[in-house]
Amino acid sequence: MPLKRRTAQRPWQGLLAVILLGLAASLWYATQRIHYEWRWERVPQYFAYRAEVAQDAPVPGQVSALTAEGRFNRIVITPEGGGQPVAVMAEKAQVKVGDAVAENDTVGVNFEWRVGPLAQGLWVTIWISFVSGFIGLAIGLITGLCRISKNPTLRGLAIIYIELIRGTPLLVQIFIFYFFIGTVLNLDRIVAGVGALALFVGAYTAEIIRAGIQSIAKGQTEAARSLGMNATQTMIHIVLPQAFKRVLPPLAGQFISLIKDSSLVSVIAITDLTKSGREIITSSFATFEIWFTVALLYLLVTAVLSQLLFWLERRFARSD
Amino acid sequence: MIEVRNLIKTFEGRGQVVRAVDDVSTQVAKGEVVVIIGPSGSGKSTFLRCLNGLEEFNDGQVIIDGIDLTGSKTNLNAVRREVGMVFQHFNLFPHKTVLENVTLAQRVVRKRGPTEANEKAMNLLTKVGIAEKANEYPSRLSGGQQQRVAIARALAMDPKVMLFDEPTSALDPEMVGEVLDVMKQLAREGMTMAVVTHEMGFAREVADRVMFMDAGRILEDAPPARFFTAPKEPRAQAFLKQVL
Ligand SMILES: Nc1ncnc2c1ncn2[C@@H]1O[C@H](COP(=O)(O)OP(=O)(O)OP(=O)(O)O)[C@@H](O)[C@H]1O
Ligand SMILES: [Mg+2]
Repeated sequence: MPLKRRTAQRPWQGLLAVILLGLAASLWYATQRIHYEWRWERVPQYFAYRAEVAQDAPVPGQVSALTAEGRFNRIVITPEGGGQPVAVMAEKAQVKVGDAVAENDTVGVNFEWRVGPLAQGLWVTIWISFVSGFIGLAIGLITGLCRISKNPTLRGLAIIYIELIRGTPLLVQIFIFYFFIGTVLNLDRIVAGVGALALFVGAYTAEIIRAGIQSIAKGQTEAARSLGMNATQTMIHIVLPQAFKRVLPPLAGQFISLIKDSSLVSVIAITDLTKSGREIITSSFATFEIWFTVALLYLLVTAVLSQLLFWLERRFARSD
Repeated sequence: MIEVRNLIKTFEGRGQVVRAVDDVSTQVAKGEVVVIIGPSGSGKSTFLRCLNGLEEFNDGQVIIDGIDLTGSKTNLNAVRREVGMVFQHFNLFPHKTVLENVTLAQRVVRKRGPTEANEKAMNLLTKVGIAEKANEYPSRLSGGQQQRVAIARALAMDPKVMLFDEPTSALDPEMVGEVLDVMKQLAREGMTMAVVTHEMGFAREVADRVMFMDAGRILEDAPPARFFTAPKEPRAQAFLKQVL
């Protein structure tokens, strides 16, 4: 007799598939009912698009020749008062031979790939999260150390900071940071946004780091001190490396939350992924598609990140 | 080498005060091996930990090699370099290899260069018979091997005194011997040692003096021959009856 009865997997996996299909079907049905027209083909242009760059006539005159040269068209303009003919290269010519052109008239266009607002927003979201994450980690480390310090002033400051941040909504913090501190110190909105996020993660990181440090057995500190290491050396060489390894999973979770929480900076008009999405919708009317795409992009970033941190964790596990 | 005068250490917990070390005075000469025995909770560990300032004591004096631990100008870290300590649970640094465990303090405390520190570490690891594990992490080692690494780690600081707090109590019986052998060799080489242990054989063979502690006091302090054959204190007699 096997000790553990194996649950038959197949039927349950089948049920899972049925439920997922059912959900998809009801989504489709729901949009049918409100007569929503899906226009997924509109989405890609918001990642990257080909912009038209106007090519202007440098002199007033007449188009005297139009010849194809590879991708380009050579547009030759003979100046009004005579003189050397001038050539303009354009991928698409917008004039015919014999047309009269004034100076700075558009005679043709070139196409150039441009980064679309969704990609730009994604980039803003990523760098804002990383910068505020790093600053937050530094704040958290310092605050965490103050939190367990023997000095009552440092400990008190750390506790007040942590409680203030953890007891108020991030949205309110962002507003206060932007409208109050930002105005007083004359801060740029990006600086205010990054600052608010960094202070926010800092408080949570501090608690994670404090717990990590306190989870390291007292014997480790005692062994280090008995070898003559001072408190700082013990912290740097013995306690923090072990604590860091232990807090990596909760720290990673905190950082992944930060990426999602960073969407709140869109309220102070920072064009991150969420704000880009909102802006695109006002012009494209592809509301559902854009929001789904935005959600998918957040999911993509967080998934890549958790995979990365998983790998990092495995590397750190070498000494176990 | 070690001088203790009227040492008092109390713990306060749940309303009651425990006098873990109660007015202890004693001396350990250079090269002497002192074994401390006594029932559980009698204050042996606390006493030992006061000797290198790991435990802050309430009153009295501890003087190591002429330096008063409580002196206003005393740098405790500087004193601790000269006093090696070996713990019951080894307390190796799990995130460092065996070699790094032995070199770390040499480098950050003694400021030795990597070549010198490595050479010293390898010599000591060879001495305790574990050189082939230099690049392993401690978790891959048996208890006896870990404790020998811990001894090498303490010796790497060239201490003048070694303190051992039940170094074999957490070991499987078959590994006790290998650790005791290292300690015996150390004693033969003239190291000043204070050893808390339940290994009466070790005490008999190696100790110059055996101290019996109970309720924070040293009740008996005698050479092993006399202590094991004719203890004066009734409590020491009762204790010996139990453990022998
Ligand atoms: N950190 C502490 N806080 C409160 N009481 C303590 C602390 N450490 C030790 N004690 C108390 O001090 C007394 C002496 O403890 P100690 O650990 O020195 O005994 P021991 O002789 O080493 O015992 P064992 O043989 O079990 O190791 C005990 O009553 C113990 O409960
Ligand atoms: Mg003890």
